[in-house]
Amino acid sequence: MKWSQFFNTSIGKKLLVGATGLFLCSFVIVHLAGNLSLLKEDNGEAFNIYAAFMGHNGLIQFIAWGLKIVILLHAIIAIQLTIRNRAARPVKYAVRPGNKTSSWYSRQMAVMGSILFIFIVIHLSQFWWAMHYGDLNTVSYNGAAPIGNLYEAVWFAFKELWIVALYVIGMIALSFHLIHGFKSACQTFGLNHKKYNGILHFIGVWIFGILIPVGFAVIPVVIYIKQI
Amino acid sequence: MKLTLKIWRQQNNQAKGHFETFEVSDVSKDMSFLEMFDVLNERLINEGKEPIAFDHDCREGICGACSMYINGRAHGPWHETTTCQLHMRAYNDGDTIVVEPWRASAFPVIKDLTVDRSAFDRIIQAGGYISVNTGNAVDANAIPIDKTDADHAFAAAACIGCGACVAACKNSSAMLFTSAKVSQLALLPQGDPERKQRAMDMVAQMDKEGFGSCTNTGACEAECPKGISLANIARLNREFIAAGFSSEA
Repeated sequence: MKWSQFFNTSIGKKLLVGATGLFLCSFVIVHLAGNLSLLKEDNGEAFNIYAAFMGHNGLIQFIAWGLKIVILLHAIIAIQLTIRNRAARPVKYAVRPGNKTSSWYSRQMAVMGSILFIFIVIHLSQFWWAMHYGDLNTVSYNGAAPIGNLYEAVWFAFKELWIVALYVIGMIALSFHLIHGFKSACQTFGLNHKKYNGILHFIGVWIFGILIPVGFAVIPVVIYIKQI
Repeated sequence: MKLTLKIWRQQNNQAKGHFETFEVSDVSKDMSFLEMFDVLNERLINEGKEPIAFDHDCREGICGACSMYINGRAHGPWHETTTCQLHMRAYNDGDTIVVEPWRASAFPVIKDLTVDRSAFDRIIQAGGYISVNTGNAVDANAIPIDKTDADHAFAAAACIGCGACVAACKNSSAMLFTSAKVSQLALLPQGDPERKQRAMDMVAQMDKEGFGSCTNTGACEAECPKGISLANIARLNREFIAAGFSSEA
């Protein structure tokens, strides 16, 4: 079986979705760790220095572009599979089992993924664009060269309740996407074993599904509350 | 018991189907679901109407022929039960029961509630066998087999190929079926020489038949009358990955 044939099979495509998905899982950990510095009571010093480093380090810039390509790949292959899956049942059932045989979020990965994609586009246009191509105010710490004050832009954005709500909705979608997504990717890679299923379930549900999305969602909520 | 049945009627594969409503009375709680259909069909025949076509064979829960999608559930509401073993005590007087055929492009409707499941046969033909040379029968127990492997192979071999996994899956995926068939052979030494080619060929055939892909929702496992585990799907994934990465062709 040639590589082209392998990755054109349903399982081959699923492996690509799973691999890109797990890569994105690793990204959200790093992204959350950096973003939590927004809540540090130092008037933005830690966050701005971190943002400037991430925005100008060559290796990280390379990974950041790779990340965008990975997101697109993940979405495109998943859409291909979804189209195929829908075509596999041209006549729908009149009565459906609801949540009796599967969880609703495991069936709605495409919907959650689409919400996330819209969220990512908005999120990037708000902050990533501002960082690279916008006109941020600059700020200088301890006599170092001035850097963009992204911290100020973030705090300004999260004054608006609807933007905060948008971010919370995005993170709810992330939560349900990852509660199913992490375990599903493991299963696709064949990781299913009595001894390890418990820990995979714990990581998928509690770390990726709850801890990380809640960690992200807390940031805009706290910034909004602090500015009331 | 008096029941209202809404049953999918379709003259043939080309015809447009529709639901037809039947009122049935004097349904005993001890009847199986198929026996209730037998009684209804007798009445239809006596009235000069066409009986409802449905698949059945052993009526012992082991052949996998009966294939009704009942009130949104493959083989009805009971856990690990085929339609023939579903009994009318599952229902109450006055209930409405909607009965549909398996829905999948790979399982075209033949008539009413019968569907063509020969796509499963073609998946088996693609590699779900072991090539045995002719000659004297080998002594039993000549090859030692690990007990755990034997148990897993046996559990996978319990698959009766009924298609409930496809019917229950939102993607009409045949992964549970294919994985059970790959697993039962991959776990045993007799299946070992052909295991890589088997995994690749059976997956290729499964895709060719137009089944959807697995999104790990677990609906198949929940509806399987033989309790085939999702662990088999993970095993098929491992078999397929190992085969695809190591094949030289």
